[in-house]
Amino acid sequence: MATIKLEVITPSKKFYSGDVELVIARTLSGEEGFMAGHAWACKLLDVDALWIREAGQKEFRVAALAGGFIDVKDTIIIYTDAAEWQEDIDKQRALASKEAAERWMATEQKHDPNEIARAQIVIAKAISRMKVADSGKRR
Amino acid sequence: MASSDMQDVKRRIRSVTSMEHITNAMKLVSAAKLRKAKAIYENTDENFQYITHSIEEIFNNADEVPRQYLQGSRQIKTTCYIIITGSRGLCGAFNSNVIREAETQMAKDQEEPLLITIGSKGRDYFAKKGCHIYKEYTDPPESIPFLVTQEMSRPIIDMYNEEKIDQIVLIYNSYLSQLEHEVSVKTLLPFAVEQDPDIIRYHKEVEYEPSVEDVFNYLVPKYVEITLYGAIVESATCEHAARRMAMENATDNAREMLDSLSLYYNRARQAAITNEIIEIVSGSEAQK
Repeated sequence: MATIKLEVITPSKKFYSGDVELVIARTLSGEEGFMAGHAWACKLLDVDALWIREAGQKEFRVAALAGGFIDVKDTIIIYTDAAEWQEDIDKQRALASKEAAERWMATEQKHDPNEIARAQIVIAKAISRMKVADSGKRR
Repeated sequence: MASSDMQDVKRRIRSVTSMEHITNAMKLVSAAKLRKAKAIYENTDENFQYITHSIEEIFNNADEVPRQYLQGSRQIKTTCYIIITGSRGLCGAFNSNVIREAETQMAKDQEEPLLITIGSKGRDYFAKKGCHIYKEYTDPPESIPFLVTQEMSRPIIDMYNEEKIDQIVLIYNSYLSQLEHEVSVKTLLPFAVEQDPDIIRYHKEVEYEPSVEDVFNYLVPKYVEITLYGAIVESATCEHAARRMAMENATDNAREMLDSLSLYYNRARQAAITNEIIEIVSGSEAQK
């Protein structure tokens, strides 16, 4: 099966680099799969899971992405603010950050739209991380 | 050659020795910090090359780039300068180079510029001069995480979109090698689209989702954040390199000084001994 080079980059490190058969990411309008020879595209990604099937593998690798964008050309580059493999996710911590943000939202008095938006992003990220940690196999 | 003179020299030798110890220790510390900073810098630099490259490619190829981000879309009146210096001294001309370059840039403007300073050295200088500083970040640059640069760049981009500022210029030390760095001036916005015919334009249509405009409205702030973060990391690396070099020079100078001082001291001591011998000899001669 044809493969395509994928790079996943976060501000702190190169999260992933390798040849893959299939990349599934959630764009703003829904999940989308990218394979070698995909039409060139530049799309924004939602806070959700990223599925990667590496060359010659049957199983998918799953990571949680904190939004970002995907640039599909002869190689695929994904830029994201944060990424985490399924096996590295600390569910307790995700749950704690979600609860802390929710508690803050409940007691919030100032109604600063920026702060509220940030808290909502924190909650979305935490939910997505917990979902990724729990998600089963994809065939 | 009085003994008080010898006392003075001895005291100076002692003080120069302790100074040499300090500069030497600082040199070793900065060398270690430099190694760490360089690893981070090389890592981020490589990654950001990809991102900035891909963003620049998109800028150069999309036909419907929102006009406000392009050069020539409006007259440049107020410029926002982001000046990255260190928060500590003892690093040679590292801080003053950036400050000098910022001043020459600012002298060209008609309107009063907006200043954002990162690192306290630049802040101190421009505050003393009575310049209006819009925002200041005084944490040492190496300890600024990516999240903070995100918060830094958001208000700047908002102001740009509200046309309160017309240009964003970044002034920082860029890293060439361990021994060399150079002040660079980078215009973040508006974006200069290369009209160069040599640049290969895509022969394929690119899909944008949700729309070109939305993609750009996401990418432009990202580009600013990433470049800003990259510049901060780079400047921190330069600072350690500059300090290591300055401290190495200081240590060398101290050693040279010690050499000449101890030579002088030994001569003085020898002269004093010779003097005493002459006195004894002439005293015993006189008794004969």
